[in-house]
Amino acid sequence: MGSVPLSHYLALGSALFAVGFAALLVRRNALVVFMGVELMLNAANMTFLAFSRAHQTMSGQAAAFFVIAVAAAEAAVGLAIMIALVRNRNTLNVDEVDTLKY
Amino acid sequence: MDWLSGMNPAEGLQGALRWIVLFPLFGAAVNGLLGKRLGRANVHLVACGAVFASFVISAIALYTVSFGDASRITDLWWRWFWIGGVPVEMSLTIDRLSAVMMCVVTGVGFLIHIFSTEYMSHDEGYWRYFAYLNLFVAAMSLLVLGSNLLVMFVGWEGVGLASYLLIGFWYTDEEKAFAGRKAFVVNRVGDFGFLLGIFTLVGLFGTIDFEQLQALAASITPDAVLDAGIFSGWTLGAVITMACLFLFLGATGKSAQLPLYVWLPDAMAGPTPVSALIHAATMVTAGVYMVARLSFLYAWSPTAMATVAVVGALTAIFAALMAYAQNDIKKVLAYSTVSQLGFMFIGVGVGAWWAAIYHLVTHAFFKACLFLGSGSVMHAMRDETDIRLFGGLRKEMWHTWATFGISTIAITGVLPLSGFFSKDAILHGAHANPNIFFPWVPTFTYLIGLVAALSTSFYMWRMFHLTFHGERRGMLEHRAHEGGNAMVGPLWILAGLAVGSAVWGLPLSGGARFENFLEPVFRAADENIARMTALGAEKLGVPVPHEPAHDFAAMLPGYLIALVVALIGFGIAWYLYLGPGKQIPAKIAQGAPAVYRAFANKFYVDEFYRAVVVVPLHTTARFLWRVVDSFTIDKLFVNGSAVLTGWMAQLFRYFQDGNVQRYAVVMAVSAVVILWVFLG
Repeated sequence: MGSVPLSHYLALGSALFAVGFAALLVRRNALVVFMGVELMLNAANMTFLAFSRAHQTMSGQAAAFFVIAVAAAEAAVGLAIMIALVRNRNTLNVDEVDTLKY
Repeated sequence: MDWLSGMNPAEGLQGALRWIVLFPLFGAAVNGLLGKRLGRANVHLVACGAVFASFVISAIALYTVSFGDASRITDLWWRWFWIGGVPVEMSLTIDRLSAVMMCVVTGVGFLIHIFSTEYMSHDEGYWRYFAYLNLFVAAMSLLVLGSNLLVMFVGWEGVGLASYLLIGFWYTDEEKAFAGRKAFVVNRVGDFGFLLGIFTLVGLFGTIDFEQLQALAASITPDAVLDAGIFSGWTLGAVITMACLFLFLGATGKSAQLPLYVWLPDAMAGPTPVSALIHAATMVTAGVYMVARLSFLYAWSPTAMATVAVVGALTAIFAALMAYAQNDIKKVLAYSTVSQLGFMFIGVGVGAWWAAIYHLVTHAFFKACLFLGSGSVMHAMRDETDIRLFGGLRKEMWHTWATFGISTIAITGVLPLSGFFSKDAILHGAHANPNIFFPWVPTFTYLIGLVAALSTSFYMWRMFHLTFHGERRGMLEHRAHEGGNAMVGPLWILAGLAVGSAVWGLPLSGGARFENFLEPVFRAADENIARMTALGAEKLGVPVPHEPAHDFAAMLPGYLIALVVALIGFGIAWYLYLGPGKQIPAKIAQGAPAVYRAFANKFYVDEFYRAVVVVPLHTTARFLWRVVDSFTIDKLFVNGSAVLTGWMAQLFRYFQDGNVQRYAVVMAVSAVVILWVFLG
């Protein structure tokens, strides 16, 4: 079985990251923005795993576990915020949530 | 009953010494914490009982060191701390000097406690008063018994605290509270000197224990130049002089000498028995006691001795002059106390140690009696203190008149009462003790002392005549009444002691009894003086002077002079205030108003201090408060930095538009730029 070279993984990872980041920047629905963030996290995860495999060490996989844990926590907090948003403002449009401005 | 083991007579006095301090301390604690609920009878039972217990132990101690095997007993209570390799022990020592002091403190203190039970009976702060009074006795005992300088200093500060509390006892009166503060602050100046003196001795000898100091001081070469320690390059004699002068500064504060005497007259704001106990009989003599305790050290410093004697003499005459024109019965007694303390300092300054201590003891008796007598008069006259309003009180208050008269005779130095012998012992020491270093000192102190004795006689008789003789001049409708047994009893006992203590000072062929009694204590000092004199005589090229004789024949001329002086003072006072010259004082006051005002205003010393010390300090403090603290620190630094932060925040808040995605863009672009710069 021929192994997939490292560069392919990196290319896929950066492509996923770019897609996620674009979603973060341009989409207005908070839920979709949130999905973009998740996409970026998993792109980073993929890069970790690719390097871990290429270098035959476990530290990259360990880092990936931390990222998964952080993503889970983030999902919990982020979804809770969104529920609160809908209840209070009845909207998920990030453009309308700008109370912190001067 | 483990705690009583210290009292076991089988263990001797050693373990019992601490109880002299502890009894009044417990009394103070009980009255101070519970006194309000105990009721008056229990309060004074506790207070008087505690002091009486101390007196009993002190009396046993006096008996033991007088007739027992050991003339010096030390009770090592606990090891307090080490500092720089110097052990400081909480230990108490009784020898003949401290035993005499203790008996005076607790004995006179007990009588004054008894007197107070009636004098203060109408005061609502009864329990507080007795708590403070017991606290004072405890602190004074610690001062007297301490076997090193630091324990003495603890007591020294303790009596200062008790004095402050009692002067400002009626603290709702702003003026009296101020008098308390004044006493405390002036004493702090002296205490500062006292501390510096202790530090100097630690730096020089590495010990503050009296016994070790005495041993070290026995073999000193004053001209030796020190080559180690913090005083390297100094001569030994110079360091000792410095230490003695610093300690004497402490004494001038506590014992109200020039230039720090100003607090004592104001201290009369306290209750009169307090003035009797603290500001006449005991606390103010602490300075004399301290110099006597360190006599072996002072002996090596002719400069310090001369300073002590001259300051004492100047204080004696200065205070006596100020007493001339005082119309407040307690103020006259206060200045008289300052003056008599000056006499004691003449005594220790010229090396007549025993005479100074003897005068201290006799003065404690007759001055306490005088103060209690004035308290008795005030008690009878609705707390009036102006002697111009009194007169003719002899008819109404026979006991007070008699005891006051006896004590006045004693203080003015008339044969055969104790004051005559004690004052003359000092004056004899002043002119007879040779001083080859400062040959003018004996003549100077003796002459000043004589004038001060004349003045004493004058103002005391003036006050006595104005108060008790003639006709009542004011408060005509008021009928004075003699106090009860609790007031009259102590008066008579003290008057009796003022008479009886004369037997210790009779000029017997082998020296006075008191002199022989204290000889073991002051032997070291006398030996050091002899050594110093021998060294000085060699250096100055003069013959070593002879020891002065002090038997009856040698004392007789001095006795006659002093007696004549005292009688002249009496005569002038009688002539001016009872006799045909009644109009003269008013004429003097009118004819030379500037002179009269100078006397009446105490030569403007308080005003001088106010202008030179108080006002500049006040101004500086105000500057520090207003400009440095309120403006610079509070406004400029604290509030200023907050205001600055606010401004900056105002500026930067325009960068926040609340749009999360715009933040994300900025972040991404910044990250790209940073990566570009650092990686590219």
